[in-house]
Amino acid sequence: MRLLKLILILILAFVFYSCDSNNAPNIDAPEIYEFTRNGESTVSFTGQTTRIQMAAELTSAMLDFDNATEASLLQMYRNETEDGGDANPFENADLNAATKNIKGKVAASADFFSSNTQLSAEIKNQFEAWITAQTEEVFPNEDSLAAVGKPGQIADGSSTRYVNAKGLEYNQLVGKSLIGALMTDQMLNNYLSTSVLDAGTNREDNSNGTLAEDANYTNMEHKWDEAYGYLFGTAADLANPIPTVGEDDDFLNKYLGRVDGDEDFNGIAQETFDAFKLGRAAIEAGAYDVRDEQAQIIRENISTVIAVRAVYYLQSAKTFLDQPEPLYGAIFHDLSEAYGFIYSLKFTRIPNTDTRHLTLQEIEDMLTNLEAGQGLWDIESSTLDQMSETIAAQFEFTVEEAAN
Amino acid sequence: MKKIAVLTITVLFLWSCTENGPSGPDPDDFDREAILINWADNIIIPAFTHLSETTKDLHSSAQNFSSAPNQQNLEELRDSWKDAYIAFQHVAMFEMGTAMDLRYRDNLNIYPTDTTEIKDNILEGGYNLELPSLNDSQGFPALDYLLHGLDENDTELLSYYTSDANADQYLSYLVDLTARINSLTAQVLDSWSTGYRDEFVSNSNNGANSSLDMMVNDYIFYYEKHLRAGKIGIPAGVFSGTPLSSHVEAYYSQGFSKTLFNEALTASIQFFNGIHFESEVNGQGLDDYLDYLNTMKDGADLTTLINDQFQDARNKSESLDADLAAQVENDNSKMLATYDELQRNVVHMKVDMLQALNINVDYVDADGD
Repeated sequence: MRLLKLILILILAFVFYSCDSNNAPNIDAPEIYEFTRNGESTVSFTGQTTRIQMAAELTSAMLDFDNATEASLLQMYRNETEDGGDANPFENADLNAATKNIKGKVAASADFFSSNTQLSAEIKNQFEAWITAQTEEVFPNEDSLAAVGKPGQIADGSSTRYVNAKGLEYNQLVGKSLIGALMTDQMLNNYLSTSVLDAGTNREDNSNGTLAEDANYTNMEHKWDEAYGYLFGTAADLANPIPTVGEDDDFLNKYLGRVDGDEDFNGIAQETFDAFKLGRAAIEAGAYDVRDEQAQIIRENISTVIAVRAVYYLQSAKTFLDQPEPLYGAIFHDLSEAYGFIYSLKFTRIPNTDTRHLTLQEIEDMLTNLEAGQGLWDIESSTLDQMSETIAAQFEFTVEEAAN
Repeated sequence: MKKIAVLTITVLFLWSCTENGPSGPDPDDFDREAILINWADNIIIPAFTHLSETTKDLHSSAQNFSSAPNQQNLEELRDSWKDAYIAFQHVAMFEMGTAMDLRYRDNLNIYPTDTTEIKDNILEGGYNLELPSLNDSQGFPALDYLLHGLDENDTELLSYYTSDANADQYLSYLVDLTARINSLTAQVLDSWSTGYRDEFVSNSNNGANSSLDMMVNDYIFYYEKHLRAGKIGIPAGVFSGTPLSSHVEAYYSQGFSKTLFNEALTASIQFFNGIHFESEVNGQGLDDYLDYLNTMKDGADLTTLINDQFQDARNKSESLDADLAAQVENDNSKMLATYDELQRNVVHMKVDMLQALNINVDYVDADGD
C-alpha cells in the first residue's frame, strides 16, 4: 500500500517535471535589464523617457500661473506651434530638440485605437480641453477662494489646491489620465501586443538575428524595450529600477511603487520587472510563448495598479467626507486623482483578451457622477463606495485591500 | 455523564478564554469627562487667554513701531513677538473646533516663510491674507523675517521702515500681520469661552468623533509632525537626507529656536500629565487614564515609560545650541540624537497608549502628491 503511494507520487512528480520542461524551454533571465549583442547594449527606449519628461513639465507648468499660457501649455502637449511649426516650450533643452510629442501617443495603441480613430481623437482632444479650461477658469481665479460653483484655491492641509467650479483640479486630471492614455495604453495595448511585436517580418527577423536599420537590436526587441521604457524610462538606474521604484516619476512608476508599498500587493513591482526581463530574454531565445505569457503578467499587474489607485483615492476621500467637518481641500485633491485613475481605466487590459476591465460606458458613468450637480461639493460617500465596488468587482482585489 | 463532560469542557473553554482575553479595568468605566474638564478649564482656555493677551501686546507694539519706527520700538516689538511666539507653543496642539475651521496653526506658523512672496505682497499690495497660498507669508515666521531677516544690521533693517521708497508698505504689512494673528487668536478663544467648551466637555463618550479621541489624535499628530519633525527632524535632514538649517523655527532671529522647542516640549509634557497652565497643579490627564487601566509595556508602567522618555528627550536637547540652525551646521549629530529620543515616544504614545485607550489613529501620513 505504502509502496503504491510512493510509486504514484513518483509518477506524478515525473509527469509534472516533464510537463514543465515541455512547455517552458529553460530561459535564463538576467539579474537586471541588460542585454547585449557583440558586446554592445541592445536596449533602447529614449523616446519613452522623453515623453515621461515632457508630461512632467506639462503637469507642473499647469500650475505656473505667472509664466504659463494656454498657448505654451498646448505647445508642451503637442511639441509644436498652433500652425504646426517647431516649438520650444520646455525648460529642458533636450525636450525642445526632440521630435517626439505627447499628443501623438495619447490613445494611440494598435490594438485599441488603430480602427477606432474617432475615440482616439476624442481622448486626445479631452486633454486639450482640460488644459484650456485650466487657463480660462482657474488661472484668472488664482487669488480667489474656491466656493460652490466658483473656481479658485482651497487649502489641503498645508498645501494649496487650485480647483475649477466643481472642485476638480485640471492638473491632476491631466497627470493621472495620462498614466492610462499615454503610458498604459502604449505599453499594454501596443508594444506588448503580438500585433506589434510580430508585425511584418518581425518574428522571422528576430529568429534570424536580422537587425533593424542602423541599430543593434531587432525590431521585436526594441518594441519590448519601448514598453519597458514607459514604466522605468526615468529610473535612477535604468537597468536596475526596483530599488528606486515609486521615486522615479509622477506617473506609472510612482504608482507601481505606491501599490507595491501596500502589503496586500507587495511584490507586484518585482514581479512586473521580472516579467519584463524574462520576456526580453525569451525574445532573444526565440521563445515567443514565454514572451507572451510575460506580457499577460504585465497587463494584469499594470491594470491592477490603476484600479487599486482609483479605489484608494475614492476611499481616502470618503474618510475625509465622513468626518464631522469634511475637509474639502483633501476631498477634492483625492477625487481629482481618482478621476484621473478612473479615466485611465479606459486603457487597462484583461489578460488574454482584447477588452478593458470595465466598459467605456461604466467608466463614463462614474466620471459623470463625479461632475454631476455641484460636482465634488455635493458628492456623497455612498456614491464613492458604489464606484469603489464597481471597480473592485472587475479585479482580483477587494475595496478594503485597496483602501489601506 | 455526557452532559457533565460537555459542561466541563465548556467551563474550561470559557475559563481559558477569560484568562487569555483582556483583563483589568474597562476603559468605559473611566471618568473621561474629568480629563476633558481639566484640559479645557485648566490648560486650553488659560493658554489661549494668555496667548491672546500677548497677541494684543504684539499688535499694539507693531502699531507703536509703525507710528515711530526707531530702534527702541523695534526692540519692544521684537520682545512682544517673542512673548507671543512662546505663548503660541502652548496652544499649537489644539487644532480643533474653530481653530480647525480657521486653519489657525497654518496661518500662524508655517516655516520656512516665503520671503519672495512677502516682498511681492509688500511691493504689489492688494494681498488677501485669507488665501491658503499666502499662509507661508504671514504669521510668526513672516514677522521673524521682517523683524530680524531684512538685514543683519539693525540700522539697515530700520531703513526699510523709514527711508525706503516703500517704507509705508513695509509698515502696513507688518501691522496687517499682527492684526491678523491677534484677531484669529481672539476668534479661537472666543469660541472656547462661548459654547465650544461645553460641547467639548460633554462629548465624553468614546468613539472616533468623541472629544477625547479627537484631542488625543490632535495631540499625537502635533507631537509627531510639528514638534518632532518640524522643530528638529526636518532641519536635521531626517526626511530629506540633507540637513536643512534654514528650516528651523524662528530662523532669522538666530538664537530663539531652541527656546521655542523647549517650550513646546514642556507644553506636551504638561498636557500628557494634565498639569495646569502656568501652575504646578497636577490634574487629570492621560497619565491618570493609563494608570487607571494599569497599562504595562514589556513589564514596565507605560506612564513612567512615557514620562522618562520625555525626560530623555529633554536631557538630550540640553546640549543643543540656542540657535538650532547653528547646531545643524556645526554638529548635526546632536540634533539627530534629540530626534531619536523624541521618536521613541511616538511609538509609546501612537502605538501603546492608543492601543490601551482603544483609540484609532484618525490621520494618515500624507501621500505627498
